[in-house]
This record gives sequence, structure tokens and C-alpha cells, in this order.
Amino acid sequence: MTTLHFTEEQRDCLQELVNVAMGQASDKLARYLETMVHLQVPAIKLVDTQQLPEHFAKRYQQQSVSLISLGFFGDQGLRGETIMLYQLANVGVLAKLLGYSDDDSSEDEMLTDISSVLTTTFLNGLAEQLDNSFSYAAPRILSSRDEHFADKLAATAQQWQLALQVDIRYQLTDYSFHCDMILLIPGEAVLRLRQMLDQILADF
Amino acid sequence: MALTVLICDDSLLARNQLKKALPADFDASIVTATNGLEALAVLQSQEIGLVFLDLTMPELDGVGVLEAIKAQQLDCLVIVVSADIQPEMQKRVMELGALAFIQKPANADKLAAVLHKYGLI
Amino acid sequence: MPLAGLLQPLLSQLNSGVVLLDAELKLVFINQFIARRADLQPEDVKGKSLFEVFSDLPQAWLQRKLHGVLSLQVPAFSSWEQRQYIFKLPHLRPLSSDSAYMAQNCSMLPLTAADTGERYICILVEDATDAYVYQQQLQHSVARLQLANRTDGLTGVFNRSYWQQQLGYEIQRAERYQHPLSLLLFDLDKFKQLNDHYGHLGGDAVLIEVARLVAALLRDTDLLGRYGGEEFGIILPETDLTGAMQVAQRLCSAVAAHRVAFEQQQLLATISLGVTGFTSGLSSDQLIQQADEALYSAKRQGRNQAVAWRDSQSVYLKKVK
Repeated sequence: MTTLHFTEEQRDCLQELVNVAMGQASDKLARYLETMVHLQVPAIKLVDTQQLPEHFAKRYQQQSVSLISLGFFGDQGLRGETIMLYQLANVGVLAKLLGYSDDDSSEDEMLTDISSVLTTTFLNGLAEQLDNSFSYAAPRILSSRDEHFADKLAATAQQWQLALQVDIRYQLTDYSFHCDMILLIPGEAVLRLRQMLDQILADF
Repeated sequence: MALTVLICDDSLLARNQLKKALPADFDASIVTATNGLEALAVLQSQEIGLVFLDLTMPELDGVGVLEAIKAQQLDCLVIVVSADIQPEMQKRVMELGALAFIQKPANADKLAAVLHKYGLI
Repeated sequence: MPLAGLLQPLLSQLNSGVVLLDAELKLVFINQFIARRADLQPEDVKGKSLFEVFSDLPQAWLQRKLHGVLSLQVPAFSSWEQRQYIFKLPHLRPLSSDSAYMAQNCSMLPLTAADTGERYICILVEDATDAYVYQQQLQHSVARLQLANRTDGLTGVFNRSYWQQQLGYEIQRAERYQHPLSLLLFDLDKFKQLNDHYGHLGGDAVLIEVARLVAALLRDTDLLGRYGGEEFGIILPETDLTGAMQVAQRLCSAVAAHRVAFEQQQLLATISLGVTGFTSGLSSDQLIQQADEALYSAKRQGRNQAVAWRDSQSVYLKKVK
């Protein structure tokens, strides 16, 4: 699908928009959690959705991973789905920082809440850079504590034409939290996104 | 004598945004660098009056550049232009000797305000 | 503009609940969907605290969520799958559901007033009772299916494949925690004669009755399965060989003393039992083999008795074979 390719300039532009959005998100999170969030450059990669399951299966090597999906809709045909990948061991401290205790919420509820905070703060920032605004569907658990999560990922990813892989590492003051985020965007929305990027590039 | 300005950012878009946001009557020649190591090489080889410095960059990040400038006592003004806008980070770069902090994306108003404040225009 | 005048009728007709809160979590507005189900007058609750009006809310949890919505300006969600409801409201299908309250999907959305810039939260409440009821039914069906999958059709005890699977798990557990475990196999004596004499229905009646009698004498944690035609197995967790022999003898006498009623007759049946204790390193096949050898000894020694496995039996058996 050569039509879905991005030029290096478009990719660079999107990377910068992601950086800025990520910066805004971590600032909000830092204020909310009352702790410093250290931000690393989120390398973005545009990948074929068919390569995703293999890539993440390799990265997590049969460890149990939870997948949470969240859909978003914007103006001008921009839409897609984000998938967060976590290892549950990673989530505990973040849950405590967010004020969760074991007795008032289930593990599933905690996972969906954290995912929705992390993705919507980021996506709101991205929408702003694009002069757009997003509305969101409720987060869904695609699979939880699953060693065979790659199959579930494959089933979801194959419905989309393009994946934007964003490796997010939120490092908190004395705790390192790491998760992966994948942005999945359908073909026609990729075309819209490219038009938007070209418009920004034309301005500079 | 015209000022030489170094714009250091790994993103082409960010560098262009910054160039375009400089005031029209700002009399300066511009050189660019795409990461911290390149920036230090430029700073060591020619006289730079002012640096616009991104923080999150590959190879060597902006904090590393500020530390090197301080350690090597290089004579230049640094304005940080970054998306990492947390108060803690702003405080840290100011302690390392940065003149000002501009939140990305850079635009003409933000730049003019800072340049004006420090008498650069 | 006609839209402004239409908004109120639209909100009151909406088949979802709308709860509007200010930044202090005081009620600004509730629509008819909520008002009617909660038996409230929209005018009465205006300006009152959300938690005062709806006293059943999960306060700590909800406050935290709403605080996140306000300070991060991002939406938050709650799904009936994780939390059946936030607002304790009745639903419209009381007869077809075993739940008294409406299952809900809720969205908590940050809003900013266009004119004043003040911040609000809108809680949208969607009725998910249908999905909830459907899933409950599905779960019941799955549970029934799982039960059917592991049950012996005639006697109602576990079938062979499920029972053997459980034996594997119990062996792993005994091995890991160094806990005792015993296995017992028993067989109805002269079952073929019974069948020939009373027909298959008579044989079946005895099988059903003996399985019922034995099951009633076991602990909840013991696992009784039908291993073959007239052969049964019992897994006895946390039980050493001495304890297992006591169980075996009790079962043997209980069956011998029992009369099975069949077509106005009283049938007599006895069982022979082989008992063995788990020792580290044994596989489930080896354990079954040992119990089987002990059972064979019980038969050979005259039936209607229990025999514990001893190493010498296998030597002896090899000789006679």
C-alpha cells in the first residue's frame, strides 16, 4: 500500500506534534500525581499492522500482558484506536499514586482508568496541535494477564491499515513506569492526517 | 556586527517553526544542529551569541548541552524551547544557566516577548 | 435560534441519563431519565451536593474520578462489566432479570461553558441492563455446559477424563507442598452376574445407587469419578495411606450393608477396593497402576474387602502373569 507512505518531512512533522502532545500530557500528569514525570523522546514508527503482533510478542517474550483499547473520533474524518500494552507488575505503583486501593476497585477497573487517563491526555494534546478535537469511546479490555496476547492484538490490528507505534516511557521520580502505546488509524484517516501535516509543513 | 544564532532541535519542523517565528527585523545569521553533540561541535568551532535549545533529543539531550556549556564555560546565551514543560524541568534548566524557557510550539509572540525582555531586539 | 428552545425537550426525551455538575460537584441539572427513575424533582435538587442527593454512590471512588476529569480535562468512563452501576436506579425489565438495579455504562465528560469559561462535568448514564442480562444467561449456559462436560451421564459423578485431569492437578499440588495424597479404586463384585440376572437396568440401578452412597460418605474435597464400566476412582487429598484404608473399609461395609431397591426386589452388592498413597516422583499413570494392582489383590483374596498396595504385590503379579 504505497499510498499510505509518509515522506520523511511528514514523519518528522508528526514526530514533533507527538513530542509536544506528550510534553503537555506529562505536565498534566505530573501536576495531577504531584510527582515529577521524566519524559523520554517517544520514537514513533509507522508500521504495517501485520508486523505488530510479532514485534510485541518478541518484546514481551511470553510474559503476561494486558491490552486495553480506546477509540477516538475527531473532525474532518480523523479517527482511530489506541492500544495500550502493560505488564501488570508495572501498574501497581501508578495505581497507588492515583489513589486506588484494592478494596474499592477491581484490577480491570484500575487498568481501564489508567489507560484512559494516559491516552486521552496525550490525544487531547495531539488534537490541539492539529487544530482538531477528539471524542472518545469507553476503554475496553481486549485481554488481561495474557501470555497469548499477540493473537488478540493480531485480531484487532488487522482491521486497520496503518499503525503508529509510540513507545512511551513515563519515568516517575523514584519509580519507572513503562508501557507501550499503539495508534491504529484506518486508511482514509491516514490520507486526512497527511493532508493536515502538509498544511502545517506549508506554513513553515 | 550581526549576531550568530544556533537553532538546535532534532525536528526539521521545529527548526523551521523557530526560524519563521523570529522577528523580521532580527539581524542575525542562523546555523542549525540536529542534536546535542552537533550543537557542542558548532559552539566550539565558532562564536555563537544565542542558542535556541530543544531538550528531548537523541545523542545528547538539551540538559547535557547546558551542563557542557557550564563546564566548558562557553560564552553564549541559551533559550530553551521545549515540549517538556513541567515546573521541575523548567527550574532545572534555569539552574543550569538558561536565560529563558519557551513552551513548544514556538511562535512569533512568545519569541518576541522573550527577546524583548532581555534586550535582544 | 430554534436550537436553544429545543434543547430542554430533547434532554427530557433522551433515553440516557444526563447529570450536570459544577466544579464543586453540586448538581446543576438532571434530566427526566434520571429524575423519574430516582423519583426526584429536577428543581428540588439544583445546587445540592451530588453525594447528598444520591447517598448510595461509591463516594471515594467517584470523587477521585471526577477530580481527574476536572484537573486533567479528560473524560472518564465506567463500564457495567467492571462496576454494575453507579447510580442505584430501577430498570424496566424487572421480570427477566435477576438484578434489581439498572446496569450502566457511564461517561464523565469535562465541559467548559462557552460564555463564562467555567468548568462543569456531565455524567452520561446509559442503560446496559439488556447486555447485562444477556451475559448472565450466557454465563449460566457456559457453567451448565462445563458441568455436563465433566459429569458421567449415568451416575452423576465426574467422568473419566475430568477425574484424571484432577488427579494430575492433585499430584502436582501434593508434590509442591509435600502434602499427603491417596488414591482409591473400587470395582463392583461380580457385576457381570448381576447384569445377567437382572438385566442392564438392574445393573445400572446398582451403579447409580452405589455411586450415590459412596459420594455421601466422602468429604467435599474428595473427588469421585467413574473410571470404567463398573470401576470407580476416588482421589483423597490431604490423606495418608492409613487414613485412606479407613475410608476404604468404611465404604466396603456401607455398600455390603445396603440394599438396592429394583422392581420390588432388594439387590445385594459388594465392592472390592485397592488403595495406594502418593510418594514423590510418581506419575498419575503409575499411581493408578498401583491402585489397580491392589484392587486385583483384593479380588484375588476373595472380594468384598480393601487392600493397600505393597511393593511385593507387583513382583507377585508379574510371577502369576
